[in-house]
Parts: sequence; C-alpha cells; structure tokens
Amino acid sequence: MQKYVQTDLTKIKLLTSHIFPQLLLILVMLIMVILLSVTSPFFLTWDNLRNIFDHSSLYIILALGMTFVISSGGIDLSVGAVAALSGVCMAAAMQGGLEAGLSILGGLIVGGLMGAANGSIISFLKINPFIVTLGVMSLSRGLALIITGGIPIYGFPRDFTWWGNGHIGPFNPPMLLAAFLTVLAAVVLNMSRFGYYTLALGGNEEALRRSGVSIHLYKIIVYILSGVAAALGGLVVTARLNTAEPLAGWMLEMDSIAAVVLGGTSMKGGKGSVAGTVTACLLLGMLRNGLVILSIPSYYQQLVIGIIILAAVIIAEVRSGKNLAFINK
Amino acid sequence: MKKIIKKMVVFMLLFSLVAFAAGCGSPSSAPISGEENGTDPATTEEINEEGIEETPAGPVMSSKAQEIEQVLMEQLAPLPEFNTGEKIGALIITLANPFWVSMKEGYEKAGEELGIEVTVMAAPTEGDTKSQLETLDAMVARDYAAIVASPIEPFNLVPGVVKANKKGIKVINLGPPISEEALEEAGGYLDGKITVNYEEQGSLAAEYIVEKLGPEGGKVAIIQGIPGAGQSEGRAAGAKRVFEAAENVEIVSIQPGNWDRNTAYNIASNILQAHPDIRAIFSCNDVMALAAADALEAAGKREGVIILGVDFISEAHEAIKEGKLDGSIAYSINIYSKAALILALKTVQGHDIPDEVYSPLALVSKENVAEFAGWE
Repeated sequence: MQKYVQTDLTKIKLLTSHIFPQLLLILVMLIMVILLSVTSPFFLTWDNLRNIFDHSSLYIILALGMTFVISSGGIDLSVGAVAALSGVCMAAAMQGGLEAGLSILGGLIVGGLMGAANGSIISFLKINPFIVTLGVMSLSRGLALIITGGIPIYGFPRDFTWWGNGHIGPFNPPMLLAAFLTVLAAVVLNMSRFGYYTLALGGNEEALRRSGVSIHLYKIIVYILSGVAAALGGLVVTARLNTAEPLAGWMLEMDSIAAVVLGGTSMKGGKGSVAGTVTACLLLGMLRNGLVILSIPSYYQQLVIGIIILAAVIIAEVRSGKNLAFINK
Repeated sequence: MKKIIKKMVVFMLLFSLVAFAAGCGSPSSAPISGEENGTDPATTEEINEEGIEETPAGPVMSSKAQEIEQVLMEQLAPLPEFNTGEKIGALIITLANPFWVSMKEGYEKAGEELGIEVTVMAAPTEGDTKSQLETLDAMVARDYAAIVASPIEPFNLVPGVVKANKKGIKVINLGPPISEEALEEAGGYLDGKITVNYEEQGSLAAEYIVEKLGPEGGKVAIIQGIPGAGQSEGRAAGAKRVFEAAENVEIVSIQPGNWDRNTAYNIASNILQAHPDIRAIFSCNDVMALAAADALEAAGKREGVIILGVDFISEAHEAIKEGKLDGSIAYSINIYSKAALILALKTVQGHDIPDEVYSPLALVSKENVAEFAGWE
C-alpha cells in the first residue's frame, strides 16, 4: 500500500517537474511585467515591447540551436564566434560584388561547415565537445579577424540590411525569423524521428548505438543545426548594425547556454524544451531592457545575469538530485 | 547613497524573481514585497539630492582648466536657459574603462550645475556594439528630451538614433562619430556634434616625441585602439603623419591593442622583443600606454623609451608625476561633458548651434604636470 502511494507521488512529481520550469518562467515573466510597468511608465508601451522582441530574437535564434546541442548531451561554445565569422563572410562576399541573397547563403554554408567540423571531430574522434567547440571558437574568431584585417566591414545594400531592421507590418524580419524557427524547432524536437534521436543521444547514447542508429550522422547534424543557427544570428546582427565586425557576438554562447539551461533543458542531455528556451530568452531580454529602463548601471546588469545563470544551474542540479533520491527510496 | 540602495532593492527584486522562476520555491516573500518597493518614484530623481552633498567645498579648478573652459564657452555662446529640469540621457561606451567612468561623473556633476536631470547609461564592455544599441533603444522608450550618445563604432547606434529622431528626441553625438552617411541612408540625422580632434591628439603627442628624440631620431611604435574606431584611427593617423614627416624617425610597428590593458601589455613586450632599440611608443589611450610602460618596466627596458598616451586619466596623471609615463594628451572631461549638455539644452530650447564643436586640447608632460593639479 505504502509502496503504491509512493509510486503515484513519484509519477506526479516527475510529471510536474517537466512542465513546472516553464510554468514558473511564464509566471515570473508576468510578475516582472507587472512590476516593471508599475515602476516605470515607459516599460509597457508597444515601442518598448517591440524592442524586447527585437532584441530577444537574436538570442532565441542561437539558443534554439543550442537547445538541440545540449539536449543531445553536448555543448557548443563556438556559436558567438561562428556568428561573427558568418557575418564577416556575408559582408566580404557583398563587398566582392556578390548579391545579398547569395552572400547570405554563403554565410549560412560557412556556419554549417563550422558546425560540421564541430560534430565530426566530437563524434569520430570522441573528444569532449567543450574542448572541440572551444577550439573552433578560437579558430572562427581568428578567421574573421584575418578576413577583415581587424577592420569592420560596413555599408551594405538595402536587400541585406532589411534582414536586420526591415518592416513587415508591426514586426521586423528578425522577430518573424525567430518565431518561425521556434515553431520549426518545437515540431522537429518533439515530433520527428530526428528529435527523438537527439534526445536519445543525450539520454542513452549506448542504447541508441545498439539499436543500429548511426550516432555519427545524427551528432553531426545536431552541430550543423547549431552552426546554421549561429550563422542566422550572424545575419541578423550584421544586418541590424550594418557592420560586420570580427568581434561581433562576443559571449553570445554564454547567453545562449544560460537561456537553454534556464528554460529547463538538462545539461546532462536527454531532456529539452523549446518553449522553455524561448521563454527564458524573452525573460532575459526583458530583464536587460528593464534594467536600462530603470536606469540601473551596466555593472549590475552583468552581475544579475551572472547570478541568474548560477542560480539556474544550481537549482536544476539540486532538483534533479532530489528526484533521484526520491525514486531510490 | 540613497540612490544606490534604491537601485539595489529593485535589482534584488528582479533577481529574486528570476531565481524563483528557476524553481527555488520561495514564492511567499519575493514578489509581494517587490511590488510595494517597486512603486517608489523613478530612481533618476535622486541625482540632485546626492550631488549637493558631494560638492560642499566648491570645485577646485586648475589654472589650465579655467583657460580651456573659457575657450569652449565662447564657442557655445549664447548660452541656453538653465535650471529648467530637462531630462537628458547620456549613453557612454562602457563603465569598464576609467575614462568613461570619469565621463559619467562629469555628466552627473554638470547636470547638477546646470539644473537638469541627467541619467548615464553604458554598454557592458568596450566591444559590445549590440548591447549598446539595445541600451539606446530602451533609452529612446523613456522620456528624455535629448540623448547625448558616444558610439563604440560609427554604425552600431544608427538604428537607435533613427528611432530617437522619429520620437522627437534630440540627439547629440559626443566623441567618437556616428556615421552621418549611414544615418542619412537610414533616414536619420544628428542634432549636434561635439568632439575632440583626434588627429590633433595624435599629432600633438607625436610632435612631443619627435622633439624629445632630437635630431638622431629612432624607432617608434604606435599601439592603436580597436581598428576602425574613430579615436583609434584618427590618433594613429595624426601620429603617423608627424612621425613620417620627421627625419630619422622610423615607425616599426602599428598594432591594434583594442583599448585593452592586457593586449597592449603583450604588444609592447612583443615590440620590445622585435626591436630592442625602440625609442618611443605612442598609445592611443592611457590605459594602453600604462600597460606598455609596465611591460617595458618588467623587461627592465623602461629607461630611455618615451611613452605617451591620450585622455589624461587620473592614473596617468599620477604616473606622469612619478615619471612612469612621459606624457598624455588632456582635455577636460568635465568641460567636455558640460559642453555636450549645454549643446543638448540649446537644441531642446530651439537655439541654433554650430555644426561641430571641438574640445580644446593640452599636452601634459613631466615639465608642465604641476599646472594640471586639480584637473578633472
């Protein structure tokens, strides 16, 4: 009798622990909206909300790729640098006379290639993804610096800058791109075979291998996705600033990882939430915006975001530990 | 102090909210107490109260500073109406650089003096162009009458300035230029500009170096800031022009130090490795010049090498007095920021302003550093 009750409780606990992080994030976001609207009359205006969506879109695009990588039990530290490299490649191509569309395609391919490099080395040589992507990060920064000679490339045709600050009704292309990718990522991660394998890679790679699935292929695809997402991020940031800088996207990998973890995806892999990632990106975007709206100096912004990352990781760890202890009983 | 405490309260609230989000499960206290404290008046209003306490003795101005302020005020006449309480936002580059920290203080002090409300915001780091734009966007969403902006790069703030233009917020560009060409293309404009003549900063420093090297000349090096940034390019170009024109002076290296102490330190060490007979190093800012001095000191080669920086930050002031640094190019940050606010006020009140205002410069070296006592 006692035993049954416990199993039921375990089930309930596990079920809620799946949705709980996202529900809490949304709740907190609502409270933050109320708090900020009460504190400042400038927060809850369409212009400002548009700012938040606009700014968050870049983080969302990168963090979606990162969600796949982390769910598969990996990590990708190269995304910020790959974003910069792709942006620089697009810019260099346009400077060389190529039209905007082809240049963008070229940049995306570069992103994909860097991802493929990450994935291949990690999968075939079985090297820790942390080290591999750290290497690719430095390599990409280096290439971006070499291509530009350290000097930012600027002044692009309207066809290109449209991707950063064009208008589609009340929205702009980055927001719509982020929204589209969100839906796509949610469908792929939750409903497709590829998504299932991604989670299985993180959950139990050995079992997946024994069932005859090509681990290498799927691992590489996961990193390619992250590379392409980074390149799309590079497109957005380059087009928005109308400048391709070799040092663009500095620390963007940290922001992406923070959002993914905050959104409830497990650093151990095997569990991923697209909705959580997107909510976390919006929450972080709102926090950054709110700190400026409240005129809080940038020192504190760094500090707050740092503490949040730590808190999220610690709490996630503690919670998963608790669940385990409960089941073991 | 009050201001900081209040900000800390809001910040703690935001933090506790997010910690709560992550599932730490202390839902009872954080959000509720938050809304009570959150309704406090806007944090910016505290600036005035705070400043009065800080300046009881009245500003002590060096003789040089008074001279310079006079020159600049003549450029700005007729002066606008003061004590009108206008809200003006200032966007600087980063508080991770002492120069911009002084600039922030300069703005706040000048705000007191002119009787207006000034709020200073910044990007988290010197290279974070994206965050700086995001900060400007959020500032435009507020109710400033004017924003004085100093961009990291000529292009990164352009979309934000266009938004400000549309909302009728006056935009003054202080320091590094916002590309007016790019701005025009995006459908925006600047309401005013105040800057330092960067080339002149470089050439002033280089002239001093050439004079000190004497007729036999020698090898010189330039440490730039972030390549492409206006100050960096201008100062390097000005110095380069003078060095190239001088006889027997050879530029052996021009390297980007990215305004970063550590990078500059390494560059200086490398230059010394490659050219043990280096005679002078011109760094595009003081932080890098101080790093170069440290690097040479560490290698035991500080003697006989002339090192100059730009900005005359207080650390450089001390270093020049101690003989650690040979000189710097000064312009008073207080006068500079005050002039920018006066320009902003003039545009808000509908005055015409000159196309471009330059902040006057002075070369500081061990010979004249005494005249700069009390300089800010």
